[in-house]
Amino acid sequence: MKALFLLQWQRLKREPLLIGSMILMSIIFVLSMGSSSVGDAVSVPTSFDESINEEERESWLDRLNQAEGFSFFQTDEKKAREDVALGTVPFSLKVMENDYQLLILNESAELQMLDQVVRQTFINEARLTAVEEQVNQESFREEVDQYMSEPPLVVKNETIGTESDNVGYNNELQVLFGMTLFFSMYTIIFSLSKIAEEKRSGTMNRIILSPVRKWQVYLGYMGYSFVIGFVHIVSVFLLFKYVFDFDVGDHFGSLIVVVGCFVFSVVALGMLMLGSVKTLEQLNAVVPIVTVSMAMIGGAYWPIEAVSNNILLAISKVVPVTYTMEALKSIAIYNQNLSGVLEPISIVLLIGVLCMGIGVNLFERKA
Amino acid sequence: MLETVDLKKVFKNNVAVNDANLYLDQGESVGLLGPNGAGKSTTISMISSLLVPTSGDVKWHGKSVVKDPKTIRDVLGVVPQDIALYEELSALENLKFFGKIYGLKGKELDTKINEVLEIVGLEERQKELVKTYSGGMKRRINIAVALLHEPEFIIMDEPTVGIDPQSRNYILEMVRQLNEEKGMTVLYTSHYMEEVERLCDRIYIMDHGKIIATGTKDELTSILSSEETILVELDRSYPNLIQALESLDDVLQVTEHDKGIKLIVPKGCRLLGKVFQQAEKEEAQIVSINVQVPTLEDVFLHLTGRKLRD
Ligand SMILES: Nc1ncnc2c1ncn2[C@@H]1O[C@H](COP(=O)(O)OP(=O)(O)OP(=O)(O)O)[C@@H](O)[C@H]1O
Ligand SMILES: [Mg+2]
Repeated sequence: MKALFLLQWQRLKREPLLIGSMILMSIIFVLSMGSSSVGDAVSVPTSFDESINEEERESWLDRLNQAEGFSFFQTDEKKAREDVALGTVPFSLKVMENDYQLLILNESAELQMLDQVVRQTFINEARLTAVEEQVNQESFREEVDQYMSEPPLVVKNETIGTESDNVGYNNELQVLFGMTLFFSMYTIIFSLSKIAEEKRSGTMNRIILSPVRKWQVYLGYMGYSFVIGFVHIVSVFLLFKYVFDFDVGDHFGSLIVVVGCFVFSVVALGMLMLGSVKTLEQLNAVVPIVTVSMAMIGGAYWPIEAVSNNILLAISKVVPVTYTMEALKSIAIYNQNLSGVLEPISIVLLIGVLCMGIGVNLFERKA
Repeated sequence: MLETVDLKKVFKNNVAVNDANLYLDQGESVGLLGPNGAGKSTTISMISSLLVPTSGDVKWHGKSVVKDPKTIRDVLGVVPQDIALYEELSALENLKFFGKIYGLKGKELDTKINEVLEIVGLEERQKELVKTYSGGMKRRINIAVALLHEPEFIIMDEPTVGIDPQSRNYILEMVRQLNEEKGMTVLYTSHYMEEVERLCDRIYIMDHGKIIATGTKDELTSILSSEETILVELDRSYPNLIQALESLDDVLQVTEHDKGIKLIVPKGCRLLGKVFQQAEKEEAQIVSINVQVPTLEDVFLHLTGRKLRD
């Protein structure tokens, strides 16, 4: 069994392209889709009335830039007008002593948000200035800043997610979990398909004739595809946790246990698929269909909350991806630990055991 | 030592092997000869316990292989017809893996590997990847793997298909040595008459799933002992001459043979004169004429009315 297990790694070393590209794909997809909604601030060219001096301009920019979603930078008025006229930017801002002006190309949702952000900043500033004049105290602003950074009372809005609401939606983690699970299914099933390849090439006959037992053969292969799927997912998670600073919560250990259960169920599912197809060509055709539809239905591409069709929701109840996504999100977003996700992971394990039993039987019968 | 009893295999509606009975004694070298699709590989798969017969049994020292495959597996080496190796690994890595699954390890494994590499003559290129090997080299490693655990009985399924004459000679010589010097029992299948003639003590001829003849080479050719073959070589082909010869009373069979004609006639029927007469009549130019003792090829032709290879 050990020899069989090690053999697969030796073969992987010689032909690492397929598995390597699956891992790379998960990273690329998470990077490109996970970050698009965060950090990509819209830049707003900002010019100032001549009455505002350089120091005040700096502090205006600081205050404006505290708002998320927009990034304000200084430019001169003429340039700002030209850019808007040419359409290189959708809008620009002119700050005056007690008022502001927005120069716009056309109406848009972004414009309304921008207007709101700028207005709020102006109102706050006007209030502070008014109070400042009354108390007439130098250190007033610093005190306010300090007070705001350590507020005595915080109102936090948190709701446990249900299928119908969107609270707690975190695009970053949705993409990280979804894409990694999706691509790992390929890694796992293609690694497992080596067992069918050996049947075709005749090396399996040699193994059968040797003193190695049947169960050792299966264990060798499944062990290999389990480990490689597990390494795939965990290494991608680690990469995004430590290198790209994704906040995956404080229970990384629990995440890993959930991943382990998921990988087991996909190995079992792979076995079921291997047992159900007649040829390797059929398998290669079936794998993308099954993985893509499981990813769609199970909420790996988009949150399951976005699905409203009852039939699809019913199917999602037998797909391990659904429960794994649910468990991973509970741990990472709502800071649950393992005991909080016992139900979904036992369902995943159950699906795994069922598929494994049927799959191995079918595969054996084909011989 | 090995015996098959009314061995039969039916795939859907296709009877691949039909009541085959054959036996091998210890130290014997036995050939299984037959054209494509005769059922040789299927027979071998059943003997080696990889395929369960539809009916009948395989007995190894009297014990049923179908009921207890392990009885034969431990002492058996199989060289499959299609190369069964990991192409992306080197020959050495392949041998290491297959040695390990037979429980060999450490020094013992290394010694065995060197031994079989020497037998197949590939010591120098053992580190190269199998996919970079020539057809002949792949065939040799394919054999080496089957020898690793020192089987007492080796089955070779067309081990020389599609390779150059030099590699082929090497392999044939190797098999002869394994049989004669190491006392290995050999079951060798082929559709090359010469190989089986050269290597095997006894021969089974198989066609359409049935064993149609068996015996030593001499025994088999004596099937034709009451007949002889006349080979007439001509300067070109003369279809009319063939017809004319076919109509002669004593001639049993006439076939076109390269630029000549092959006649099978009863022994001592003094036909040569008539052949010359007919040739003169058709104005055919005889280059040479040859009276032969029958070969296995002729036996096959006689038994089936077909040539072994088309
Ligand atoms: N797995 C199978 N399923 C269905 N039919 C099969 C199977 N294996 C072999 N056959 C059929 O059984 C017959 C005998 O095949 P077999 O491979 O034993 O012939 P062979 O003598 O080894 O021929 P060759 O010289 O080409 O190797 C053929 O008609 C083949 O099509
Ligand atoms: Mg064959």
